[in-house]
Amino acid sequence: MSAPPPVPPADAPRPSSAPRPGVAPHLRVAMSSKRMTWLAAASLVPALGLGVALYGVPALMVTGASLLCALAAELATTLPWRRFTLADGSAALTGLIIGLVLPAGAPLYVPAAASAFGILVIKQSFGGLGRNWMNPAMGGVVFATLSWPGAASWSIAPLGWPAGAALTPLQALRAALSMPGSHQATPLAVLEKAGYSFSGLDSGVVGWINTHLLSPAGLALRQGTLDVFIGHVPGAIGASAPLLALGAAYLLHRRVIRWQLPVIYLGSFVVLSLVFGGLASGQGWSAGGPGFHLLSGNLVLAAFYAAPDPVTSPLTGTGKWILGVVLGALTFLLRYFGSLGDGAAAAIVLGNCLTPLLDLWTFRRPEAASRGAA
Amino acid sequence: MMYPTKLLKGGIDPPSVTTVPPGSAIVNAALPSRALIPLLQHAGAPARCLVKPGDLVREGMIIGRAEGLRSAHVHASIPGVVREVRPFTLPTGESCEAVTIELGGSFETSGKPTVRRAWDGLHRADLLQKIRAAGVVGLGGESLPTHLKLAADAGRAVSLLAANGLDCEPSLSVDAALLRQKPAEIVEGLRICQSLLSPRRTVLALGDHSEELVGEFERLIDRCGMTAEVLVLPARYPQGHEQLVASAISGTPPGADPTVTVLNVATLLAVFDAVVLERPLIERVMTVTGSTLSRPQNLKVRLGARVGDLLEECGGQPATQKVVMGGPMRGVSVQSLDLPVTKGTLGILALGASEARAPAELPCIRCGACIEACPWGLAPTRLFKLVRIGKATAAFREGLSRCTECGCCSYVCPSRIPLSSILGQGKLRHSREATR
Repeated sequence: MSAPPPVPPADAPRPSSAPRPGVAPHLRVAMSSKRMTWLAAASLVPALGLGVALYGVPALMVTGASLLCALAAELATTLPWRRFTLADGSAALTGLIIGLVLPAGAPLYVPAAASAFGILVIKQSFGGLGRNWMNPAMGGVVFATLSWPGAASWSIAPLGWPAGAALTPLQALRAALSMPGSHQATPLAVLEKAGYSFSGLDSGVVGWINTHLLSPAGLALRQGTLDVFIGHVPGAIGASAPLLALGAAYLLHRRVIRWQLPVIYLGSFVVLSLVFGGLASGQGWSAGGPGFHLLSGNLVLAAFYAAPDPVTSPLTGTGKWILGVVLGALTFLLRYFGSLGDGAAAAIVLGNCLTPLLDLWTFRRPEAASRGAA
Repeated sequence: MMYPTKLLKGGIDPPSVTTVPPGSAIVNAALPSRALIPLLQHAGAPARCLVKPGDLVREGMIIGRAEGLRSAHVHASIPGVVREVRPFTLPTGESCEAVTIELGGSFETSGKPTVRRAWDGLHRADLLQKIRAAGVVGLGGESLPTHLKLAADAGRAVSLLAANGLDCEPSLSVDAALLRQKPAEIVEGLRICQSLLSPRRTVLALGDHSEELVGEFERLIDRCGMTAEVLVLPARYPQGHEQLVASAISGTPPGADPTVTVLNVATLLAVFDAVVLERPLIERVMTVTGSTLSRPQNLKVRLGARVGDLLEECGGQPATQKVVMGGPMRGVSVQSLDLPVTKGTLGILALGASEARAPAELPCIRCGACIEACPWGLAPTRLFKLVRIGKATAAFREGLSRCTECGCCSYVCPSRIPLSSILGQGKLRHSREATR
């Protein structure tokens, strides 16, 4: 071996405090994959906090169910083999993401099944952390959404909204656009015409801004601008794009995730929405409302927390660029032309299937390899 | 600063363990009262022992004669009596004989006025013989006998002779210190090598820590009427690797041009000593540093000195948990403080508890950090999986042969997988399969 265990001379007197052995290099970067995972989980706490504040106990129940079920599934598949992997944080992160992606009104079997499927089928059956080829959280969510399309999208009204079950703005938009004659320039205009009402907070703040700041300039914000922006709408528990982006910014700063995949993903989605978005509903060019769609659903969460998952994204830079564009395009197609969910989770799942091929196509073997062993 | 264009891709910028400022003086270590001199301090076969217990040896006397092509002479580093000749295992796992000399008698060269011998009129073969007789080997870590590198065949034109002034590992500042303290000798050594090889181009490459020395070296080179350039390369690890230095200077891919000769500046100094002072290689400069030392410094050490004594001389503390011979990236951790330093010892690191803790390995998460860090364009994450499932041959098809075990991949791996050591095992297994 080139780095064999150092053999002390047999007859050398060994000092009582003999130095410890170890293979080179003797320095390591501080950031471990374990710490990366836990940092990612911690950076989701603000979004979870807002979700709990808006939905109360139901939000805690849903996230608790997904989290506990993910941990239990991980334990069930490791303890019999005398391994303990909860400390790596991967199961906890999966459970947390699943909880944040689901609406607070979902019956508890939905998050439980999503987590169980994600951990048991997608991750552990392929060999555990690092061996899965699909993002466990997104795969679990897609599984649950396809299994119980209704239950998995039962949104309830957040704090400050009229109580009871409520359509998400995305669902309302889809319903309104399917009616003839509802076509307006932007999604918020469509919603306004369809009579979809936002919270009192939104009408107050937007009204004040319109009267005091924008009316002199002849401008006006649509009803719902504030609610959609901060994620104060019926929908997923972790729907607050600004808080998610804040957590993601921290992860980017600590280099837990890299900017390439999320930025290319969101960028290509925005460009496609801007250019072709209006065509989907017959509103014409440039009427897709990329801002509304960027902030709705789980797009931001998927872009920063599922797409750059190192296990299921390509190894090479070129591969990451290609996957980013593919994810943007798939999300765009599913969002504007699909009928189920918000498109982000399904796009990630489909994109993950491409990763092995992208690795194969984009990895350039070093020059010496073709010359044979040097 | 304008750098040449063909710099290394990847590589790392690790926080160095306590450094020794290159400007601080090189300190002469105390003479060892006993020297334990292994007869394998070079690339080839061990030298043949010429002494037996009870023999009196003078300082600088040959005690081991080179055996075979890649072997080099080994000299007595201190005068005295041979106490013991016994089998010995080096920290790298190789075995050879080792001679123990107990200090005694008088010094014939140390402390005496130096006589400079002119070498300009000497024949090539005589120059090479002087270098060979002095037991000079590469002091940058590879330990190949230097006369082999300088004995270019008449038919082979040397395209580039490069003096490598970049320390080969982070935390080590041997070359940087020598550049500051022995500039004239280094330039003279380079001139000797140039006259032997007649290269088309001669370059002295400095690390960017030594940027301020460019003017001085250009003056020195001008004064002796030599044609040579001085270049500055970034001191990012592993830019100091022989092939990467050559590649940065010549602009060709690493290893593509076999007519390049790279010599480390410490080696040039040994060439100067061998030819001008007729002194054999019996001491070398090494960086003794680490978080548990109170006085890290660059020491000039007699070969065969005990590691433990040198650590003590640099203020060793009981907090030392791990001792590494060499640098932090490629050094070998040793379990005995009684090991001797040899020609290939670049430094000694004394590490504390937090650095000595072997990190627990986690599953590979395919983050690709190792691919970004690999200076040879390899994908360690793929290679280590192939090696672990016993497919070393498949790994070779993906370029494993280019791995130099620089350790960049292991350093950046967030899952703490000992990638470079696994790749090293794979290379070894493959070569065993090939020879079988």
